[in-house]
Amino acid sequence: MTKAITVKVVGPAGTGIKTSGQLLAQILVDQNYYTHDYTEYPSLVRGGHNTHQVSFSSEKINAPFFKTQILFSLKPDHWQQHKNELEKNSLIFSDQKIEKKINSGKLISFPLSELVKKVGNPITANIICLGTTAFLADLDQKLSLSTIKKYFGQKAKDNLTAFKVGFDFAEKTYQKLKLKTEKPKKKIAKVLLDGNESFGWGFLKGKGDFYAAYPMTPSTGTLHFLAGKAKEKKIVVIHPEDEIAVASMATGAAFAGKRAAVGTSGGGFALMTETVSFCGIAEIGMVFYLVSRPGPATGMPTWTGQTDLLFAVFSGHGEFPKIVLAPGDQEESRQMGWQALNLAENLQTPIIVISDKFLGESIKSVDDPAKEKVVVNRGKLLKLAPKNFARYNWQPACGRSPRTIPGIAGGQFLANSYEHDQKGIATEDALVAQKMFEKRARKEKAALSLTPKPILHGSKNPKKLIISWGSTKGPILEALKMISGNDFGFLQVKTVWPLHPEIERIISKAEKIIVVENNQKSQLTTLLKTKFNFNPDRQILKFNGRPFFPEELYEKFKKL
Amino acid sequence: MKNLKNYNTNIAPTWCPGCGNFLVKALLEKVFAKLSLPKNDIVITYDIGCAGNMADFLDTYGVHTLHGRAVPVAMGVKIANPKLTVVTIGGDGGIYGEGLNHLITAARANTDITTIVSNNCLYSLTTGQTSPTTPKGAKTKSTPQGSLLVPINPLFLVKSANSKAWAEKAATQNPKQLEEKIEKAVTHKGFSLLDIEQRCVAFGKLLDK
Repeated sequence: MTKAITVKVVGPAGTGIKTSGQLLAQILVDQNYYTHDYTEYPSLVRGGHNTHQVSFSSEKINAPFFKTQILFSLKPDHWQQHKNELEKNSLIFSDQKIEKKINSGKLISFPLSELVKKVGNPITANIICLGTTAFLADLDQKLSLSTIKKYFGQKAKDNLTAFKVGFDFAEKTYQKLKLKTEKPKKKIAKVLLDGNESFGWGFLKGKGDFYAAYPMTPSTGTLHFLAGKAKEKKIVVIHPEDEIAVASMATGAAFAGKRAAVGTSGGGFALMTETVSFCGIAEIGMVFYLVSRPGPATGMPTWTGQTDLLFAVFSGHGEFPKIVLAPGDQEESRQMGWQALNLAENLQTPIIVISDKFLGESIKSVDDPAKEKVVVNRGKLLKLAPKNFARYNWQPACGRSPRTIPGIAGGQFLANSYEHDQKGIATEDALVAQKMFEKRARKEKAALSLTPKPILHGSKNPKKLIISWGSTKGPILEALKMISGNDFGFLQVKTVWPLHPEIERIISKAEKIIVVENNQKSQLTTLLKTKFNFNPDRQILKFNGRPFFPEELYEKFKKL
Repeated sequence: MKNLKNYNTNIAPTWCPGCGNFLVKALLEKVFAKLSLPKNDIVITYDIGCAGNMADFLDTYGVHTLHGRAVPVAMGVKIANPKLTVVTIGGDGGIYGEGLNHLITAARANTDITTIVSNNCLYSLTTGQTSPTTPKGAKTKSTPQGSLLVPINPLFLVKSANSKAWAEKAATQNPKQLEEKIEKAVTHKGFSLLDIEQRCVAFGKLLDK
């Protein structure tokens, strides 16, 4: 079991909750701790109730935890919404004089409004909490201050003072509350990235050079990240008028030789599905990065859910090959960023990378992506066109025909949304149409050897097999760490379409099979049933906009 | 130079005898030749509709897009490779109806692409329904009691979106002027819209009722 400490700051939007959370994570990483954060916020800019928690440990940490050891309430009473996250030794810091009796944890009088006066800047309350946290968690004050200096640059002065005020006050007042922490034993040199930035890094490392998106929570992080890098990396990052234009422009760019991707959430993807279909028939390889939030319709914009799996797998009218990849964590979001670009050009068909708010917007300590070595594969891209070039040549057994891009003499062809012959000319001929369908379908077979295979974590011969996909990976791994014995295995399906036959081999050996998903209808079960004619023994589902936490999965697993 | 002269796929066009699109196609090829544009440096994006069916008949790089999407696809191509000459062929249904939002954006962006619209005030490939340029009151197959909407003015729309955009009218009745305007539109640096007044030989009579 991972020995982790969770610090949570709560309060209204606009009080710097996110900043203090991110800064705490940075301080921790700079002092060689592993971190995983998690935020909750409503779809508004001021007021409401925001939270930012950082779970940290001297060992690798795969998920944020539910139970909070240190809770800061930036305004009194905000903490009351978190009563069920408290345990016996939890400390709740709130600016209130009377110490109420509470069922779990200890409510501490924390004179934030007085301390803020000492700093002389009311917006530094969040940093004062950070100073207090640093004392309680026995963090190095000097190192922490240098992290703050680096983070704020010119604006550091008040924040440095605030940190010291918080730290000194805690040192004087809360000596007895100091937590016992396990110190990191080695340097880890990690950086902090959320899933959306990680995907952006993967895109850059994979020589992605055209990214289009229309802002939509929770996918917007990638647009912001890449827009910030566009000038330096000399790539196109564009925000068109709607998601239909986003996807359409990207097909034009991919056709003209760019390694192209688009980003959106469920509602935007709904508008893009006509283009998914178009990419299928015109054999245009591009990447759709789909970061889910709970629908239907506008749903809950800033919350999480794995509700779009079937939508992604079955997106687009007509029958055509399609690949759907599901990163399980921030590292895999990065890997799949470049793998998806390679697959797109290699298979010349739409590639969907499906993530969600929990993964897309949670920050984790990860390896520096700038140092990652990446293979760029452009597939069968020709430099010169052969005589009588036929772009949609149906000879290759793998279904993939060599392609040209505009500018190459003699390589002219028509990328056609109509069914077409080998040159791209529209056709309604029965034989030609059937041969083209068969050609394209062969690419789905070729995909099985190119796409990421399922991974079996834990026991290699598990009696009890958990199957899941995407962002549930971290919470499942942490829950399994809490369980003693060697009964459990966890099969992580990385390519959710097409499903790899290896899945069938592994499930056929297990005694009990449990599907875990962050949705209501267990969409992976539907796919497994369809493909392998198989029914799981149990489904563990959650569909209230919140991710699974390790503790709740552990409670469910131990009863299996 | 072989790549210059023949922009034809040698597939016989499938338009109705007398359709204005024959002329648009012929003049477009003539302008390409006059401008000495190698066919491998031209990308044409075609909308869905009778005009868009030109896709099969021209031997350049081409994308026969989804309905309404020829303009954003053209923008994507041009942004990806600014050296290419990028032209869109479509009708009033695709460019002014399904894709109007994209037309306005292209004008605002002033992307160096040319949009050529065969405007016959009807959806013709689908056998004669009202389009965004159909006169109010016209009894088409989808508006047997008369169209309720006033027609849009595409030139005004484009010019008001961006006064720097090039937007002009021509008609198939005047081939010489049409040729000049196609040349101007293709050579214009920045966004250009050429609205070509046409009459549908199969369903145009619906507009006379």
